[in-house]
Amino acid sequence: MHATSLAQPLQFNQARAVTADTEFYPDLPNARTIALPDDWAVSRPGETGPVWYRVTFDAENARANGELMALYIERACSSVAVLLNGKLIHVSGRLTEPVSRNCQRPQLISLPGALIEPRGNQLDLKLVGFPVHQVASRQRAAGLSVMELGSHAALSAKHTLRTTFSIRLPQVIGGSLILVGGLIFAMGWVNRAQSFLAYYGALLIGWALVLSRQWLSDLPWPNASSEFLLAILASFVTFAAVQFLMRYGSERRRWIDIGLPLQCALMPLTLMIAGPQRLHTMASLWYLVLALEVGAAVAVYLHKVWHIRRPQFWLMSALGTLMTVAAAVEFLAQQLTIDQRLVDVAQLLPPLMFMSLGLRMVQQYGRALQDAQHDRAELERRVQEATTQIERSFAHLADMKVEQVTERERKRIAADLHDDLGAKLLTIVHTSDNERISTLAREALEEMRLSVRGLTGKPVPLLNALGDWRAEVISRLSQAGVDGAWQAPAEDEVPQMLSARAYVQTTRILREAVSNIIKHSGASRCTVRCIIANGDFQLIVQDNGNGIPLELDGRLDRGHGMASMKHRAKQLRGQCLVESGPGYGTVIRLTLPLDQHVAPA
Amino acid sequence: MKSILLLEDLPEIRTWLKSLVIQVFPNAQIVECARVHDALAQVSAQKFELALIDLGLPDGSGVDVVSALRESQPEALSVIVTIHDDDEHLFPALQAGAYGYILKEQSRELITEQLQRISQGEPPLSPSIARKVIAYFAAQPKPQVDTLPHVSLTERESEVLLRVAKGFTLPEIGVQLGLSRHTIADYVKQIYRKLNVSSRAEAALEAQRLGLFRR
Repeated sequence: MHATSLAQPLQFNQARAVTADTEFYPDLPNARTIALPDDWAVSRPGETGPVWYRVTFDAENARANGELMALYIERACSSVAVLLNGKLIHVSGRLTEPVSRNCQRPQLISLPGALIEPRGNQLDLKLVGFPVHQVASRQRAAGLSVMELGSHAALSAKHTLRTTFSIRLPQVIGGSLILVGGLIFAMGWVNRAQSFLAYYGALLIGWALVLSRQWLSDLPWPNASSEFLLAILASFVTFAAVQFLMRYGSERRRWIDIGLPLQCALMPLTLMIAGPQRLHTMASLWYLVLALEVGAAVAVYLHKVWHIRRPQFWLMSALGTLMTVAAAVEFLAQQLTIDQRLVDVAQLLPPLMFMSLGLRMVQQYGRALQDAQHDRAELERRVQEATTQIERSFAHLADMKVEQVTERERKRIAADLHDDLGAKLLTIVHTSDNERISTLAREALEEMRLSVRGLTGKPVPLLNALGDWRAEVISRLSQAGVDGAWQAPAEDEVPQMLSARAYVQTTRILREAVSNIIKHSGASRCTVRCIIANGDFQLIVQDNGNGIPLELDGRLDRGHGMASMKHRAKQLRGQCLVESGPGYGTVIRLTLPLDQHVAPA
Repeated sequence: MKSILLLEDLPEIRTWLKSLVIQVFPNAQIVECARVHDALAQVSAQKFELALIDLGLPDGSGVDVVSALRESQPEALSVIVTIHDDDEHLFPALQAGAYGYILKEQSRELITEQLQRISQGEPPLSPSIARKVIAYFAAQPKPQVDTLPHVSLTERESEVLLRVAKGFTLPEIGVQLGLSRHTIADYVKQIYRKLNVSSRAEAALEAQRLGLFRR
């Protein structure tokens, strides 16, 4: 018998209890006083209930106070009906199968003032639940906690706090886990190269389902099925967790890929074979095995990451430690009765850890995406570069090929000319009795040779050309007994190149000029001057001979080759001027524009 | 001159050359060939003091005959008689051991004179050939094998070559360097000889390298 003043809530630490499936509290002789909290597994092992509890209290000032009174039950597992003075005032859920699952849901029951007597009030509770061996977790084994009686306002705060922890937070967290998990799963599903994302998403969703046991009360199937489903859910969560860890650490194993799904099939099988009466034992065994598997996967992953990414190791091992602590608390809670608040906190740890790791993964994914885009841009740039390079090389190769073919063809023509035309002309040169014909043939041969050189020749340095011309002019003049002089710019003033054509034509003009001097001028002295000035190359051949008589200039031009000299100069876009007067000698000025035929070296 | 080899495939030119050679060396015994094959046979059969060799022949190049002669009869004078005046054709012949060259289309008088000069030890040297020789020796690598002689030009030889390349005639160079005509001619001969020796060393080295590869 208790008396209550509303200022201080009344705590019921014991109650009369009797097992009976009746409508009202039965007056049976086997009723006995038991201590609260009452755990069926301890007080009545093997029994399946229901159990009636009765507590009594006095409430003398309660009515005068006018305050609403309430009964607060922290835990009434699985479902409870409350009667005040024989009147039903509260049912927490269904009391017959499928029994509502309200083990984690605290009950705050308002006591109607009209039913409260000043003295000897009787509170009867009919508790429906399941013995520990029928449930997968001790948390859902039948039992009644300490009850408190007091003002509704005072107890409501307690009730709200408790509800927040055991119902609202799991709901909110479960929802978030499904959201984040779904997102990550989709990311992993789309991007098969990062399959660990899909497993991680599955892990989060699985965990959200596990959390739903806290608040999901009314299911359309018997309790035994719910417990069975919850138990095998653990194997799927383990599947996702282990696969995620292995793939995240790039440690794919074929036997794991096969073993885990097999295990998911094996677990329900063994549970079914063991039967609902041994569910708890069997499930506990399985939990141990699954926990060991996850632990091993964590170890493998951490070992791997230790050698590759040290910062990641510290992060993951911190999370792993938290997870281990949570798992240890959970495991202990299965075997012993532990402070509920500790269990609550432990239960919240894994989801929080999952969320943070999930966010980190999304961040990594985003960064990887960014990197991939960057890499792609880089790759495109390189491909572009390589393409340009290849095109350039190809063009170069094609040019070279054309040059090669042209060069070969020129050589062939040159060889043919030498072998056929050259041989015949040579024969004429040396077999003709007619001096004029043999001279003509010799000149033709020289012409041919120069033509071939113009055909096959590469540009020659102007300096080399000057050397060749000097040697020829001086030796020819000296052989003819003419005193020859040669004036040319210093070596370093002649860096230009001369095209083969310009070289050949200039050689011919010079040769013709020297021939004229030797044959016709009667000169005793000849000066050749080479000048590079104003972008022009000038060759001045001056003799002190007879000059070219006017009438001869007109009539016998061909013999002197003046016309052909002028023609050749014109071909090179230059000019050839002849200044001559009887008795004054002859001056031949050949001027070639350098930019046409003399390219800088 | 006692015995002279004349290698030329065109009959008219050969006849003409023969008459020219007889004019310069009236008592010489002249062996005429029209093919490289025949010439090589003659070279192995008897000794020659002078050989006039055409380059472009129906069954090969006269350069082979120059090499053979250089190999078996180092005292014999090989002179190229050709229609090609470009150094691309002449230089290999000079490397093979020819002591000079004559352009076929020149007048009888000119060729006669050149022949006399060559036989007296005054080989010709054109500016373009001189440039080629300079470039050849400049590109010569340092000897890698001690057993092979490393040939290099002396300062005077280089000087002569440089002046020839600039277009100075050999008599002019003689005046410029204060040397006699014979000394200059000796330099030129020396240059030809070194060109040949160096080329042979190079060829030997090349052969040895190939041999090493095959082993």
